[in-house]
Amino acid sequence: MIMTRNRLIHCALFIAGIAFTASAGMALNEYVLSIINFAGIFIILAISLNITNGFTGLFSLGHPGFMAIGGYVTAILTFPVSKKAMFLEVPPWLASMEMPFLPALLIGGACAALTAILVGVPVLRLRGHYLAVATMGFLIIVQVLITNWETVTRGPLGLNGLQPLTHLWWVYAWVVITVYVSWKIKFSSYGRSMLAIREDELAAQCLGINLFRTRVAALAIGAFFAGIAGGLWAHLVTAITPASFSLVLAFNIVVMVVVGGTGSITGSFAAAILFSVITEIFRPLEENFDIYGIGEILMALILILILIYRPSGIFGNKEPGVLSPPNKKGGCL
Amino acid sequence: MRKGKRLFLAIVLSLALIAPAWGADTIKLGALYNLTGGMSSIDAPALNGAKLQAKLINDKGGLLGKKIEVMGIDTKTDQKAAATGAKKALSGKVIAGLGYGDTTFVMAAAPLFQEKGIPFVTSGATHPMLPKWVGNCMFMVPFGDDDQSFAIAEYTVNKLKAKNVVVWTDNSMDFTKALSKFYKERIQQLGGKIVLEDFFMMGDKDFSAQIARLKSANPKAEAVFISAIPNEAGLTVKQIREAGLALPIVSGDGFDTELVTTVPGAKLANDVYFSTHTYREDTRPEVVAFVQAYEKEYKRPPENAFAALGFDAVGLIADAIKRAGKTEGKALREALAATKGFKAVTGEITYSRPTGVPMKGVSIISVKAGKYKVEEVWFPKQ
Repeated sequence: MIMTRNRLIHCALFIAGIAFTASAGMALNEYVLSIINFAGIFIILAISLNITNGFTGLFSLGHPGFMAIGGYVTAILTFPVSKKAMFLEVPPWLASMEMPFLPALLIGGACAALTAILVGVPVLRLRGHYLAVATMGFLIIVQVLITNWETVTRGPLGLNGLQPLTHLWWVYAWVVITVYVSWKIKFSSYGRSMLAIREDELAAQCLGINLFRTRVAALAIGAFFAGIAGGLWAHLVTAITPASFSLVLAFNIVVMVVVGGTGSITGSFAAAILFSVITEIFRPLEENFDIYGIGEILMALILILILIYRPSGIFGNKEPGVLSPPNKKGGCL
Repeated sequence: MRKGKRLFLAIVLSLALIAPAWGADTIKLGALYNLTGGMSSIDAPALNGAKLQAKLINDKGGLLGKKIEVMGIDTKTDQKAAATGAKKALSGKVIAGLGYGDTTFVMAAAPLFQEKGIPFVTSGATHPMLPKWVGNCMFMVPFGDDDQSFAIAEYTVNKLKAKNVVVWTDNSMDFTKALSKFYKERIQQLGGKIVLEDFFMMGDKDFSAQIARLKSANPKAEAVFISAIPNEAGLTVKQIREAGLALPIVSGDGFDTELVTTVPGAKLANDVYFSTHTYREDTRPEVVAFVQAYEKEYKRPPENAFAALGFDAVGLIADAIKRAGKTEGKALREALAATKGFKAVTGEITYSRPTGVPMKGVSIISVKAGKYKVEEVWFPKQ
């Protein structure tokens, strides 16, 4: 196998990421580390939503719902047995179980993906705005369920005192996996069929693409990574409440995908970093001059400027030339 | 266009460089509050109160020869930001943390302080289990929800002579749920009866369904307990009175707001009783001095009791520093735990209970024809 130029660049980026993770862990204080961790989690969220919203064109607002499912499942599975007895009323098999982080995360992601399939079967018959409203409904159902299922979720108070298991290596590994999977999907015939569905359903169907199966798969893959991100989130904040997974969060992730460029993996990656870091950059300004909230205003301004000067997002629907395989410029059309 | 971009970049970068300008010789306190978003009406006055206290102490020469510095951190009504904010405060070498008027945010921030052995004082979160959940570095300025519920429950049965009570609960918040739970518990202990329970969600505007059920409650309701936060406090009073029901309305500190009189108007704001921090309409010298200082500093009266609680949080920490003679984590923690009879604006604070919740007086305030009046001050028995 010949190493093409873009493959070399990918490897170099992968190694640079490891070097960054290793040096960041040693050199930076916990505050900066937590910002980097959240940026990583948002990268996972934006890229996974990009598979659903960007590649396949399914406008879903349900991402935080899948996140919440993944987060709660992971949190309950890793919750120490002694604390379970004190706080929760769960069935004995669950109460006596305490899992390591990785299997708990995977189960959390799987639960989110399974929910996506169950929800997807009826909901994905809808198109466009109707789908957006239906997924929003799903998000609200998840929130209400968590708020009221007190024996397991402790209602609005949420689960707290979780172990701080998430650190930079976990986040980095999952960012790499998410990028890799998403990249492989995009540059495969499977990804092509997703892009085809987005552009013209009828034409795609005429070419023999199974519309329904591809759409459900796109939703489920996105949901899996959202679930993983939820698990990482819960163990980074060390607390999880239903209020965190609100419609506002759904919009934030959608904004990242749109600003990065719908369909562009590099775009989602860049936008996720931009949005998680920028409000923190303005923090000293807020604190030293007592103008709290200015960060949000400036961020909104930046958002407007980007959409005026680059209406299709920072990267459009393409990947930058140096990263994409030769002859496939990464975009479609 | 390119020029514009460069200029923009230059602005952004220069803003990033405005490094925090703290001197090395200050005592730093990390104040975590939701200054923007849904909780800001509760948390922003609290930070103002905290900063005012620091200023007053500094004007008198500071503590241990150093100035106090309150580092206000906005956590945007977002648990993720609360965790990040706590880490920021801890990286900024604060000697203690303070903040929040709601339990869920304390639970995202305080455990991080506990891990480092640095005290965290909540100015407004009232869940009585907080010190148990977080650990020995967690301190509460306000009373616990159990105390305020017990106070108003005893008032309902003993003074209002109401035995058959209807309970309405805002089901979307932990605070309101806990309040109802403790209230029902005490009513039943006192021989009262919960004839009906009803629920609503934060943000509801129409309570006609609940009012209809309240009207037809059997046996007839003699009082209704509404566990709500300020927004629903005014609305529920208005709609119940407009429906022609004159029974007493009772509640906890969620009703400690001007909205109880301004929304229904003075005519309808009648026969409302709530338990709250000993602050409103109080004439103790601490309260009067605080209100004067606040008006002088901010050119407006304190917005609510949370301003006073934020003021007390910094006062409590300063008092402990004075007694400990140093600011190191363990000594400061022990000094805080030994607090006895500290004269705070919102009442005396003593940590004598094993639960870690302070023994504090609870005001019972009545609203009659739009006028607030302190009916009595309730003290916990143990």
